[in-house]
Amino acid sequence: MSTRAKRPALDRRPSNDRMFVKRGAVALAVVLVASGCAGGSPSTPASDGGKQKVSFLVFPSPNLPESYWKSQVDLVTKAHPNLEVELVAAPSESERNDYAKQLAASGQLPDVQIGMQDLTALEPSLAAWTEQELKDFLCPTCGAVNGKVVQLPANTQTIPNVFYNKKLFAKAGIAAPPKTYAELLATADKLKAAGITPFVSGGAFVTSQPWTAALATDLYAKAPDWMSRRRKGEVRFATSPEMKAATQKFADLAAKGYLDKRQIGQDYPKTQEAFLSGKGAMYPMGSWFAAAADASDMKADIGVFAWPGDDGNLRLPAFTGGGLSVSATAANMAAAKEFALAFQLTKENLDASVKADALFPAIKGYTPPSDTGPVFKSVYELWQQALDRQATVPPFGWEAGDAAMLPGMQGKFWSAAQDLVSGKKNVDQVLSFLDTEWEKSG
Amino acid sequence: MAVGTTERRPGHAGAAVRGSRARRRRWPGLWHFLTFAAPGTLVYLCLVLAPIVLSVGYSLTNQALLRPRTEFVGLRNYELLLRDETFLNSLRVTTILTLIVVIVPNVLGVAIAALLDRRGWLYNALRSVFFTPMVISSVVISVIWTRILADDGPINQALRALGVREPPGWLSDPDIALYSLASIVCWQMLGFCVVVYLAGLQGVPQELAEAAAIDGAGPVRRFLHVTWPLLAPALTINTVVLLISAFKLFDHVKVITNGGPGTGTTASVAFVVLQEGFVENRIGYASAEAVVMLIVIAALSVITLRILQRREVQL
Repeated sequence: MSTRAKRPALDRRPSNDRMFVKRGAVALAVVLVASGCAGGSPSTPASDGGKQKVSFLVFPSPNLPESYWKSQVDLVTKAHPNLEVELVAAPSESERNDYAKQLAASGQLPDVQIGMQDLTALEPSLAAWTEQELKDFLCPTCGAVNGKVVQLPANTQTIPNVFYNKKLFAKAGIAAPPKTYAELLATADKLKAAGITPFVSGGAFVTSQPWTAALATDLYAKAPDWMSRRRKGEVRFATSPEMKAATQKFADLAAKGYLDKRQIGQDYPKTQEAFLSGKGAMYPMGSWFAAAADASDMKADIGVFAWPGDDGNLRLPAFTGGGLSVSATAANMAAAKEFALAFQLTKENLDASVKADALFPAIKGYTPPSDTGPVFKSVYELWQQALDRQATVPPFGWEAGDAAMLPGMQGKFWSAAQDLVSGKKNVDQVLSFLDTEWEKSG
Repeated sequence: MAVGTTERRPGHAGAAVRGSRARRRRWPGLWHFLTFAAPGTLVYLCLVLAPIVLSVGYSLTNQALLRPRTEFVGLRNYELLLRDETFLNSLRVTTILTLIVVIVPNVLGVAIAALLDRRGWLYNALRSVFFTPMVISSVVISVIWTRILADDGPINQALRALGVREPPGWLSDPDIALYSLASIVCWQMLGFCVVVYLAGLQGVPQELAEAAAIDGAGPVRRFLHVTWPLLAPALTINTVVLLISAFKLFDHVKVITNGGPGTGTTASVAFVVLQEGFVENRIGYASAEAVVMLIVIAALSVITLRILQRREVQL
């Protein structure tokens, strides 16, 4: 017989107090384990009053506030009343990719996202688009990852153009924008002599813009497949002569004082503000800057030219992609794709994106509205010229999909640009660093 | 009493009761203990111990956030760490930050506490002033200082007004940025040190100082030979708290410099761990870095505690 059986009645049954405490402890443990240790679950499909719910990850910014995204969505839902869209805002424009990756890793990626850049990393979490779904896009295979198109190649951006302040050019006695690299250096020299900062720079990615420009004329113009060869291990940063030459040009700009190393600590909005307030004469920047320029008081005084190479031939870095992508685990895939395609193909949406973000929609048969600002018109015209002359090249650091650097390398490239401008590292050290980081990323 | 009680119980039931009572004596209030300790223990298990164990596990794999397959790689991540320029640089940055953040607030803290160890509304107000940065969010502090130290911020504008043509690039010059960052952290932690030292000063018996004064000791000697030894527990607390805070510094770095300017100029170990894990998707590798960071912090804390506790005086 067990000891338990021999116990007197009172001892066999715990008191009410103890029973309560025991049960309470067990219940509390279960609740804590369930709530504290359980992971999150993805959003569930929902149909409310016949409407299909779709969540949409956007990135509010000074140029694209939440009201812009809301009005863009309203345009779609007006034409597609069966859709109900919930906006999910990323913490910031620059952190939208990291945020999306974290959401994807935790199974919470919204049904639709816009402007994802790290497609290689996100590819397993994104749904592929079919040939039929891509029939209206000008470059249906742009940004493909392992042959799969996971992001609508909805618009083109040229990165960088050189925006310049016509008044400051005139003040320094410069009659026309430079056409060759030697003329660009002479222009910068005249500006510096006149006490004007030649190039506005700042932060991480803005600092790297002249480097991307030099790589367009000196590397991609000669070796357009350089990045795919780097991915195969056939070339390296440190041993590629074209890479070294372009990087040296960029480092020399800083060494000559044409780039102000004191500006590398300022953020992107302040950098834009610096150019728009006349604190520098030239601003190498993506075509999207045209929207802010046209919204400013000095829009009539801003001109644009392509970063010139040694031979003076036009080379314009251009990237097509940046559109909407759909989560592979979207609760309602059909509704998510319907929304994404409608968002990218509705004329009113495209017109709004042209005006607010200076995008060049890469949609068959689309032409921008006629009432855009003068800076947008100049940038768009420059792109058209490059297209006519087949003079577009990939923008180094901004390529997408299989043509892009490995995940995580873009940030290293930007930081390395700061090292060159500050003089912390020389060209050889920076290129060697990029090779080392590349091996780690692989 | 227990023996007597058992003897009064009839038959073989007595043995069972004896056993039960004995168990209760060995585990007094076990269920009550479990009830009160369970919530904290479970939270600790779920939020501290389990992640540590998981991190050690992940550090032996090539896990990536979005990669479907994870493979066991043994100690390869740790081998790579030893050759990783970014990680080794972050250790160097963190060591410099830690040294500054442990020494400066301690030195200034004890000096300010000695000055504030008086009665009166002014001293009470000043204590609050020094402690205020400590209760403000690090992110808010960082944003404020980023504005103050900007090239066109108030400090450089003042310097220009004083005739300095090229004032320092506090956050953009790679040679200065780390020290600017360390200064901000010191400024924020100073209030904590002051309060702990003030508490320590108020525990120093007045008679000892008076006796030393009678023996002819001046203010400096009284401080060095009477007060300072009795402040040893406060020094221990401050040093260990500052050491741990400095070693896991992330929020200031993220907001003020984002690890820059350039590659890793101000990137602390904690910053690099989060970059590797959540930006570059290498969870396995980041976990190895986190495990190394944990070991270093634990070892430094234990060593510091041992050394400083030896100095402590029992009154």
